[in-house]
Amino acid sequence: MRLVVVSAGLSTPSSTRLLADRLAAATGPFAEAAAGGPLAEVETEVVEVRDLAVEIAHSLTTGFPGPALGAAIEAVREADGLIVVTPVFSASYSGLFKSFFDAVSGADKDALAGKPVLVAATGGSARHSLVLDHALRPLFAYLRAVVVPTGVYAASEDWGAEGLAGRIDRAGAELARLMRPAERPDRSAPEPVVPFAEQLAALGQR
Amino acid sequence: MSTMQFGIFSVGDVTVDPTTGRAPTEAERIKAMVAIALKAEEVGLDVFATGEHHNPPFVPSSPTTMLGYIAARTQKLVLSTSTTLITTNDPVKIAEDFAMLQHLADGRVDVMMGRGNTGPVYPWFGKDIREGINLAVENYALLRRLWDESVVTWEGKFRTPLQSFTATPRPLDGVAPFVWHGSIRSPEIAEQAAYYGDGFFHNNIFWPADHTKRMVELYRRRYAHYGHGAEEQAIVGLGGQVFMRANSQDAVREFRPYFDNAPVYGHGPSLEEFTEQTPLTVGSPQQVIERTLSFRDTVGDYQRQLFLMDHAGLPLKTVLEQLDILGEQVVPVLREEFAENRPANVPDAPTHAARVGRRTRKEVTA
Repeated sequence: MRLVVVSAGLSTPSSTRLLADRLAAATGPFAEAAAGGPLAEVETEVVEVRDLAVEIAHSLTTGFPGPALGAAIEAVREADGLIVVTPVFSASYSGLFKSFFDAVSGADKDALAGKPVLVAATGGSARHSLVLDHALRPLFAYLRAVVVPTGVYAASEDWGAEGLAGRIDRAGAELARLMRPAERPDRSAPEPVVPFAEQLAALGQR
Repeated sequence: MSTMQFGIFSVGDVTVDPTTGRAPTEAERIKAMVAIALKAEEVGLDVFATGEHHNPPFVPSSPTTMLGYIAARTQKLVLSTSTTLITTNDPVKIAEDFAMLQHLADGRVDVMMGRGNTGPVYPWFGKDIREGINLAVENYALLRRLWDESVVTWEGKFRTPLQSFTATPRPLDGVAPFVWHGSIRSPEIAEQAAYYGDGFFHNNIFWPADHTKRMVELYRRRYAHYGHGAEEQAIVGLGGQVFMRANSQDAVREFRPYFDNAPVYGHGPSLEEFTEQTPLTVGSPQQVIERTLSFRDTVGDYQRQLFLMDHAGLPLKTVLEQLDILGEQVVPVLREEFAENRPANVPDAPTHAARVGRRTRKEVTA
């Protein structure tokens, strides 16, 4: 199965990436167990949105993704489960994080439909923790993803406190339970098409 | 006419020349489009196509008026559109305007249907953008009947019904203008073109080649499905966008400020990135020849190649120089190279004369 982690941290090292890696590590074993042991090995791929910043901006003006962004979009489309982690900027997800998912849905509006997604965010204080429920959940609900019940928010203080590890494990287990090896559409197959007669008939034309 | 047609298509934008800070007036731009069309004929190109827009900074809102004027001043040039808005124009008026133009231009007319790219045009013309595809389907179905049947009684969803209506004038020689369907992203339009056995024009100029390939493959497959001929016999047109100087570094240096400030792609990717990812070619005539020939590897042998030459604020003088290079150094080589190894069953670009001839032969056989 394929687990794709989208991390939108901007600094290196970044606490967003730190949280992303912890969530991925927590999800993998549960997912393998849920799918019947190591036979169902989980491949994890990390998309660092920072590395795609310029291509994301260009895709907004050109309407098509450059090569690296195109590969990242493809990875997201092909994922059996998704972990998305953003820093909190101005009471919401970062603009770059949003623009990445704008590019994903611009390339394929159904890319996330039915896909299990674990939402997570980092911030300087716990005062922003509802960003998960007030910003990330609506975004992924719009994209028709299945958002796992537990979201994980890590404020700076959480990295030295109890409780974060438990939330990470719970969220990872929830994501793993929802992941199923998807039947991947054959991208080399010819473009699907609605026969024209049906379009005419729908309008009462001949 | 030749196996393949080469020509130019104009958006008709009024854009500030970034090197002088000056924009042409509407009058200057409209006259420049005419001068460009006349130049196209002078240098031996086959086609001039104009866009249709209903908002500034674009001038060509009335394509058949402009094309009628150009028709009177040319002998051989095929006059076309890129595109005619099948969604928001009344199909009755399209049928009549283009039939009239056919008569005035002695058949040197075809038309490319499109849905446009400006959302507010729909409400401005009293239409609903969410019905874009359905409008294209219904309006074109009616247009076909208005051209092909002399008396039409019709009822549809988007327009008042017609009882015993005859569009006038009737198409020249009883043969309607050839229709291209232009689309960038909608498989429905490739399907529509295939269903009717019409041409499919993929305006690939801002898109990577793999996307163009998928759309044209879809059209070819469905064209064969509907029994109009083999896949390689479908009628395909492509766009292109070039800027040339004898020395490729000179071309890049001269074009860069226009690229960097172009309304469509300016302030985005670099010229180098954009030329790598899309058909834009800035360099020597030889580079343009090689790039254009490579389109055949993407879509197979095709029928029409249109270049976008006048945009982004390029001055008229420069555009005319570009057309000289295109007509004298590029297109003659392209004609020769594309003709080589072209399978015998690949059809020529459609012309009025050939289509009239085919119809007459059919009648004789029947």
